[in-house]
Amino acid sequence: MLVNGLAIGMLYVLIVLGMDMILRGTRILNFAHGQVYMLGAYAFYFTYLVFHLHFVLALILSGLAMLALGALSYLGVFGFVQRRFTPGTPFSYRLLMSAMASVGLMMILQQGTLLGFGTKERGIPSIFPQLLTFGSVRLPLERLFIVLISLLLCLFLYLLFFKTKLGKAMRAVSFDAEVCSLLGINTFWVYLLSFGIGCALAGIAGAIVAPVFSVSPDMGHGIITAALLVMMVGGIGSYKGALVGGLVIGLLSSFGFQFLGQLSQVLLFVFVIVFLIFRPGGILGEAHD
Amino acid sequence: MRLTISWRTSGKLAGLLLVLAVLVLLPLVIRSPYLIHLLIMTFIGVVLGMTFSMLFSTGLITLGAAAFYAIGAYTSALLTLNAGLSFWLALPLATLMAGVIALLLGSIIVRNPGVAFVVITFIFNAVVVEAAGGLRQLGGWGGILGIPRPDPIPLPFYGPVEFITKTPYYYLMLALLLLIMLVFYALYNSRIGRAWRAIKLSPALAETLGINLYRYRLLAFVIASSAAGVAGSFYAHYFQSIIPEAFGGWTSIYIQLYSVLGGLDFYLLGPAIGAAIMTFLPEFLRVAKEIEPLITGALLVMIILFFPGGILGTLRQFPRLGPASLSARLGEIKNWLLSGRNLR
Repeated sequence: MLVNGLAIGMLYVLIVLGMDMILRGTRILNFAHGQVYMLGAYAFYFTYLVFHLHFVLALILSGLAMLALGALSYLGVFGFVQRRFTPGTPFSYRLLMSAMASVGLMMILQQGTLLGFGTKERGIPSIFPQLLTFGSVRLPLERLFIVLISLLLCLFLYLLFFKTKLGKAMRAVSFDAEVCSLLGINTFWVYLLSFGIGCALAGIAGAIVAPVFSVSPDMGHGIITAALLVMMVGGIGSYKGALVGGLVIGLLSSFGFQFLGQLSQVLLFVFVIVFLIFRPGGILGEAHD
Repeated sequence: MRLTISWRTSGKLAGLLLVLAVLVLLPLVIRSPYLIHLLIMTFIGVVLGMTFSMLFSTGLITLGAAAFYAIGAYTSALLTLNAGLSFWLALPLATLMAGVIALLLGSIIVRNPGVAFVVITFIFNAVVVEAAGGLRQLGGWGGILGIPRPDPIPLPFYGPVEFITKTPYYYLMLALLLLIMLVFYALYNSRIGRAWRAIKLSPALAETLGINLYRYRLLAFVIASSAAGVAGSFYAHYFQSIIPEAFGGWTSIYIQLYSVLGGLDFYLLGPAIGAAIMTFLPEFLRVAKEIEPLITGALLVMIILFFPGGILGTLRQFPRLGPASLSARLGEIKNWLLSGRNLR
């Protein structure tokens, strides 16, 4: 159960990291992220089970596919939305426009998948069906695999942010985009890559979870609510907060489901709301407009 | 002091009365219950759209309007079924309930507007649906069936009005809609409405002018949620059955679409036009239920990309069509022709 909670928590961490990255880079709250996660799972299903590729290759391919999808959606929709904003645009208007565009995209992706692949749940045989036994403790290897891959991705993101020039540019753009473009940073590429990498994270999250749970068009709905909850707890736009919040919510929901059953989601929400009374900005974030 | 009514105001007033007269007389002309049903659904949509617009008038964006719609519907249904109250008592109580819950939730989440507010309202909506489905006392996923119709109203000179056909429901919803519109209109034109608009334009500036952002935003949240509760209560007794799925996140998105499609700067008229289009258009085009969300999503993206002002906002950009502006336009064209530029 602990491992289960950890695995779910790391899954949330991956998705929230992607959303935070998009939010901080481009100031867009992407509600379509759950659908990207679902499409990532579908991509893995097709590459791994239909085309019989090696699972590492399939994982990378589904991540790349979602990167392309993210970049495309930025080029097709969000780029235009963003370009219309001037520094004087009220924040509420910016938020509404970008949130609505992503909601529209969410509906299109969701219903498109439903029409294209049907409502049928598709199972993928587990890649690591073994159980690890340490004395009396038995651990399912596939859950550990999820944790491992997620940790690797977090490490990769850390290196990207703090050891490469692109990461530096991303951090700078999220701080002040106008000054950055004056200083010769190509903000368009930074936006595009932020969006793409954020979506790729969700895609890989979907791909690694596909063999554990089954793949269905509905899987995006549940995860987006949980991911947003994690975002609130951790602090909006905070990467460390996403990590802490994801683990907290993952463990709480895993234990809560064991002891309370169906209602654990509701109680979790009440818990988060009560938590927000004391720390309105989440664990590691600040309350801001 | 002489009371003067300008031509423009009187023209608007006449237009309003005309629309009102048409709406009142419509059920006498239309005999199809199906069309009446669509009109009733439009009215519900208008109320819900107006709640979104009211919150947006203070700079808050909600994705949880359907949650308060659900709270109104469930409160009203449970009160009439379990406590045996009449609809006429359950309606104000449901409104109160939605308002109280909005007050409790709002007092916490209105503190950080912006992204956090959108996110929390979105989650709240999902959680309300989850609770309604998960708790057996609230009917579970199967919903609540057999909600009684409203009690008959004894009218003088007419006899009791029974709620059997759709026509009485139509008039009831029309009355509720007009009442809510009137309240909203009065609010927007009062000190409170001006404070809301100031907050939307610039929160920092409004605060320096002595407007308490938190209280005014909370007020908008509570009033808007109560109005959604009224719509929910009516819905429960009109359909006589409610299921949790009817109040899911999609409903909130549709509500948002009503006001954005109509025009966000028009707090009352925008949702009315948006809701009418979104209710009638899919029915007349006979769109299959599977493709409908696809079209709605595409529509949403299209509006954002090409008509961010909505229908009314886009129409306002066109020059006013009137004799004065027309002659001015003709004069412009004449000058342009006579000057001989660009005519080579």
